[in-house]
Amino acid sequence: MRDKREIKPVNSFNQKIDYILAAPALLWLTIFFLVPYFIVLIYGFLTPDIFDIKFEFSLDAYRQIVDGTYFRPFYVSFRMALLTTVLCILLGYPVAYFIARAKEKLRNTLLVFIIIPFWTNLIIRIFSWRIFLSYNGVLNDFLISLGLISQPLEIMRTDWAVILVMVYVYLPYMILPLYSVLEKLDFTLLHAAMDLGANEVKAFFKITLPLSMGGIFAGVLLVFIPALGAYLIPQLVGDQRSLYVGQVITYKIKNIPRNWPMASALSFTLLILVAVCLLAGYYLYQNRQKTKRFG
Amino acid sequence: MKLPRLSSFFKGMNLTVFTFVMIFLYIPILILIIFSFNDARIITSWKGFTFKYYAQLWENAAIKEAFWNTMLIAILSTVISTLLGLITALGLENKRLKGRRGFMGLLYAPLVIPDILMGVSLALLFNFLRVNTGMVTVLIAHITFCVSYAVIVIQSRLEDFDYSLIEAAMDLGAKPRTTFFKVKLPLIMPGVIAAALLSFTLSIDDFIITFFTSGRGFDTLPIYVEGTIRRGTITTINSLSTLMIGFTLFLVVFTKRIRKSLISFF
Repeated sequence: MRDKREIKPVNSFNQKIDYILAAPALLWLTIFFLVPYFIVLIYGFLTPDIFDIKFEFSLDAYRQIVDGTYFRPFYVSFRMALLTTVLCILLGYPVAYFIARAKEKLRNTLLVFIIIPFWTNLIIRIFSWRIFLSYNGVLNDFLISLGLISQPLEIMRTDWAVILVMVYVYLPYMILPLYSVLEKLDFTLLHAAMDLGANEVKAFFKITLPLSMGGIFAGVLLVFIPALGAYLIPQLVGDQRSLYVGQVITYKIKNIPRNWPMASALSFTLLILVAVCLLAGYYLYQNRQKTKRFG
Repeated sequence: MKLPRLSSFFKGMNLTVFTFVMIFLYIPILILIIFSFNDARIITSWKGFTFKYYAQLWENAAIKEAFWNTMLIAILSTVISTLLGLITALGLENKRLKGRRGFMGLLYAPLVIPDILMGVSLALLFNFLRVNTGMVTVLIAHITFCVSYAVIVIQSRLEDFDYSLIEAAMDLGAKPRTTFFKVKLPLIMPGVIAAALLSFTLSIDDFIITFFTSGRGFDTLPIYVEGTIRRGTITTINSLSTLMIGFTLFLVVFTKRIRKSLISFF
């Protein structure tokens, strides 16, 4: 129904011109997106140098990956990404639903309220959480003045601060795709289900939720994957005794003594992990669509 | 037809979560704005109203330089990636183009890979090529992460394009060139502007990829801010942040039409 192109012979496309038009961007991405990953792959098998890299073959970096030396940062990042994603779904779904079912005139305004923080500089937002959460910060002052606590809480530089800020940063990425699915959802189906005797909870789980799976999938993609590579949030508010994989990679590249082969091996492992997660997600999604069609 | 009404429990729950999320989203922003007028060296407690950090901001040469660097990179990468995005979206318009799926894969891939990996891989590429990092490498990096977004935003606008308008124009005797510039381009313009706006915000917002691809002496605002936070000299950050938030609000308020295209992107 979307493809109006199928019925318009007049505006026939010239394939040659199409290729010429698409070529610059595709070439650009090949050189600056694809090729660099080959270099990451190669650098993982070289020898580290304090400032640079030595072009001598070495398996050290991958040996350390395989023997589990770096298991902990991967685990820490994976756990936090998963937790962030789940919390974003739980918080984002009701919000998206609320906006999708608000009066039509109101919807765009409400969406803008979701988008404004998302358009505000990331570092600035993280920085303001530091003001809010720190030992002498606004939150502690407030809670003490209410008499709820007598000693300031230590929230900054804990996992709690990381979860809070991660959810804060990634929540709009969950709300927006969910909204765009829920907004198009045919709510008369709910009517039908409830006419046929389903209660609200049942109607939600049997109709609304399955039909909004596409939005959840897109949201998970937009939240989980970037969260897996998080550097800035754990760096600025997290506990520096348990490093995230993004931090380890950055230190190996930036700090002296440098260890670029290790950074490369870690990056490549992260890339594989992301690819596996994507494929698993895609497979699950496809499978679900299929069983829905035939089951 | 009247939609089935949600019971007050569900409605109440949604409203509660919505309100909670709104407070959650705006607390840090409000705090920043309020504390930018706070007359205290240590940021945490309130010591009275002042404009002095705004004045300090104006006198700070490093911030000014970082600001102009940010703008330069943002404008250049926006123009280049939007133009690239436009011609690519037009090139890939025909869904039966051979190899289209592969091309789309290449375009989507940067969106589903953590930023840090793009930063690392570009840093190693520039090291491998023995290129000095600085303005040019940052610009290349920014174009690389903006171009995919630009293509996809413009493409979503082309999806809804009514091709009978082209036929009408050509029936009325317009040449292909006229048809393109007088009919097609104006109609997809909101998508093009949305793509430009998205590229611009992505560019001024980026920290991690710039962090890996900028050399010493080329700071953008996010890099400068992060360095300042790390060194602990943070008095001007609040006022700087407030101005940046003001800039965001300005963009959001003055781009009503484009907002729609941006929302439809998700």
